[in-house]
Amino acid sequence: MTAAGLFYLCQCISFWMVTMNAWLEPRYVAWIWRGFAMTLVLSASVIVCATLLGFALALARSARAAALRRAAAGYVLIFRNSPLLVQLLFWYFGAAVLLPDNVMTWLNTPHAVTLGPVTLDWPTFEFVAGWFGLTCYSTTFIGEEFRAGMRGVRGGQYQAAAALGLTRFATLRHVILPQAVRIATPPLAGQYMNVIKNSSLTMAIGLAELSYSSRQVETETLKTFQSFGMATLLYIAAIAAIEVALLIWQRRGAYQSGGSRFVRPGGS
Amino acid sequence: MSAPDWLPILRYLLAGAFPAGPLGGVALTVALTLASAVLSALLGLAGGIALVMTRGALHMLLLAVVGFFRAIPVLMLIFWTFFLMPVLLHIDVPGLATVVCALALIGGAYLSHSVQAGIVALGDGQWQAAMSLGITHAQALRHVLLPQAVRTMTPSFVNQWVSLIKDTSLAYIVGVPEFTFLANQVNSRLMVYPAQIFLFVGLVYLVLCGAFQWAVTRLLAGTFDAGGQTRSR
Amino acid sequence: MKTWTRSAAVLGLLLTLSGVAHADRLDDIRKAGVLRVATFDSNPPFGFVDPKTNRIVGLDVDYARAVAAKLGVKLEIQPTNPANRIAFLKSNKVDLVFANFTITDERRKEIDFSTPYFASGTQFIAKKGVLKSPQQLGSLRIGADKGTTNEQQVRAQFPAATIVAYDDTPFAFAALRAGNVQAITQDGPKLVALLANVPDKEKYEIPPFTISNDYEGVGVPKNEARLLSVVNETLVNLEANGNAAKIYDQWFGPASKAPLPRLFRIGDPQKS
Repeated sequence: MTAAGLFYLCQCISFWMVTMNAWLEPRYVAWIWRGFAMTLVLSASVIVCATLLGFALALARSARAAALRRAAAGYVLIFRNSPLLVQLLFWYFGAAVLLPDNVMTWLNTPHAVTLGPVTLDWPTFEFVAGWFGLTCYSTTFIGEEFRAGMRGVRGGQYQAAAALGLTRFATLRHVILPQAVRIATPPLAGQYMNVIKNSSLTMAIGLAELSYSSRQVETETLKTFQSFGMATLLYIAAIAAIEVALLIWQRRGAYQSGGSRFVRPGGS
Repeated sequence: MSAPDWLPILRYLLAGAFPAGPLGGVALTVALTLASAVLSALLGLAGGIALVMTRGALHMLLLAVVGFFRAIPVLMLIFWTFFLMPVLLHIDVPGLATVVCALALIGGAYLSHSVQAGIVALGDGQWQAAMSLGITHAQALRHVLLPQAVRTMTPSFVNQWVSLIKDTSLAYIVGVPEFTFLANQVNSRLMVYPAQIFLFVGLVYLVLCGAFQWAVTRLLAGTFDAGGQTRSR
Repeated sequence: MKTWTRSAAVLGLLLTLSGVAHADRLDDIRKAGVLRVATFDSNPPFGFVDPKTNRIVGLDVDYARAVAAKLGVKLEIQPTNPANRIAFLKSNKVDLVFANFTITDERRKEIDFSTPYFASGTQFIAKKGVLKSPQQLGSLRIGADKGTTNEQQVRAQFPAATIVAYDDTPFAFAALRAGNVQAITQDGPKLVALLANVPDKEKYEIPPFTISNDYEGVGVPKNEARLLSVVNETLVNLEANGNAAKIYDQWFGPASKAPLPRLFRIGDPQKS
C-alpha cells in the first residue's frame, strides 16, 4: 500500500515537472547571480557594523550612567517594535525629504575612492539607505544577544576577578567578555542569518538584491518557479554556510573544553 | 493640511474601506496577527512534540523541514504561497489566506524549536517518573511535561508573536490592504508627507507591539498560574 | 503507517486533479454574482482612491463597471501595482485586469488581451532642463515601475542607462524628487495626470518625445473565449453608443485636471 501510494505521488510530481518550461536564459541567470552578490555584500557590511554597534549598545545598556542606560533602552524599544519595512521606507523616502538638498545631491553624485589597484565605487542611495536601516534594526537584536551573553557569565567570575585585584576595565576585558562572547556566539549566528533574510526587504526601496532580481526575472520571463526557486536555493545556501561555520566553531570549542552531553527523554 | 482633513485619512488607515469595502488597515493587521498566532502556536506545539517523540529518518526529515522554514526569508515564502499554491492545488486561495499560511509556517518552525527545547530542558526525570506511573506518552505530555515546559517557552512564544505583528507588514507586497499598504496608498496620494506618514506608522506599530506583548504575557501567566504552581522569586 | 499512505494518496489525487480542466470562468462569475477585477490604486486617473469616499475610482474602474453591468453582476475591486497584475490573473485571484495593461507578444503567451481601449507611448518626467533628447537617456539613472513595458523598452533601447525599478509610479516620483534618479518613465497619459496632482509641478517637465507606441487592453485569463468575447462586445458597444467618449471626457477631458486630446478610439487600426 505504501509503495503504491509513493509511486503514484512520484508519477504526479514528474508529470507536473515535465510540463514546466525549460530553464532560464543565461542573461536572466546572470541577473540573479548579480542580485545574490549584492545580497552578500549588503549582508556582510551590515553584519560587521551591527556587531560593533551592538556590542557598544550592550555595554551602554549596563553602563553606570543612568541617562546612557535609558537612552539605550529607548533605542531598543523604538527599533525593535516597528517593522523593518516601515523603517526602510522611512529612511529612503522620508529621510530623503528631511535632509537638506545639498546633502542629498552629495549623496547621489558618484565619488570613487582608489585604494591601490582597487577602485571602490560610491554606493547608490538605495544601498546606503538599505545598509543604514538594516544596521539600525539589526543592532538592537545583536545588542540584546551580547547583553544576554554578559548576563550568562556567573556572578562568581566578577567576585573572583575582584579578589585578584583587577580593575573594572581589566575584568571586563580579560575575564567577562571572552566568556560572554563564547556564550553569545550561537544566538549571534542566528542573528547573522536573520540579517541575510532581512536584506530581502530592501527590494521595496529599489536595491537590486536577490529578491528584487528574481522578481524582475519573473515579471519578464513569467517563469515563476524557476526564478523564485533559484533565489530560494541561493538564500538557503547562504544561511547553510553560516550554520556550517557555527557547527565547525562549536566542534572546535567542544574538543577544547572536553565536550558536552545531550540528554534525550524517554531513553533510547 | 488642517485637522479635519486628517480625520478621514486616520479612519481609513484604521479600518480600511469597511463597511463599504473589505476590512483593512490596523483592524486587518490585528486580524492577520491573531490568525497567524493561533495557527503558528498549533503548528509549533505539534512540531515540537513530533521532534521530541520521533527518531531516525523521520526525525531527520522533520529537522530538514523545520530548518527549511527557518532559513527561507519571509518575503520569499509569501511569494511562493501567493503565486504557486493556487497553481499547484487549483484551489481558489484568497490573498489573506496565503499570507496567514506563510506566517504560520515560519512561526510554527521557530516555535517547534522552542517547544522541543522547553521539553528537553525538563530532563529525563519527569519522563521516567511519568512512565513509571503507567500512563501513556500522550498523557505524560499533556499532564506532566507541557504544563511545566510552557513556563520556559513563554518568552519565545511572546517574542515570536510580537514579531508576527511586524511581519504582517510584508503582506503589502502582495496587495493585501493591511496598515502598511494603506499608509503607502495615502503617501502616494499626498506625495509630500512621507516622513510624517512613516513616523506615524512606526508609532502605531510600536503601540501595537507593546500592547500585544503585555496582553499575551498576562494571558499566558494567568492561564498557567491557575494550576496552583508556586512561583519562586 | 496507514494514515501516512492515505495522506500520500490524497496528495497525489490533488496533484492529478490540478491537471484536470475547470469549469468555464464566465459561468463561475455568473454563478458567484461577482466580477473580481484588478485595478490600480495609486495611479490617477486610471485607478486611484477617492479621498472623500475611500473607494477606488478612475477610467479603468468605469470600464470595469460597464463589463460588470453587462454581465449583471456586482463589481469587486482588488487594488494592484504593475508587478502583481499577471500574478493576480494567473492565480485566479481576479477574473479581469483593468490596469492600463500594455499588450505585448510576450504577455500574450501567458494571458489573453481584449481589443485595445487606450493608446499611449513611453515618455519621461525629469526636473526642468535635465532631459532634452532621447540620446541623453543612456547616461542617466532612470526610475521605472517593476513589471511594466516601459522598463523593458528603456532597457532594450538604451542598454547603457541605469534603471531602478520601484513597486509603483508614486515611489519612482518620490525618488525623482529626492534626486535618487534623474528621470522616471511611464505611459505619457499617466505622467501627465501624475504631474497635474503634484504640489510642486512647476519644477518638473515632460520632454515632448516618446520611445514607443503602445496599446492597452483588458487582461483576460487564457482560454476563456466566452469571457473574452463578452469583454470585447462591451468595449465595442461603449464606443458605438458614445459612452467610451464620455468616460474619457470625465478623466481626460477639457474640464479635468490633466486634459489630453482623444486620439485613439476603440476599434481604430493600430500603428505598428
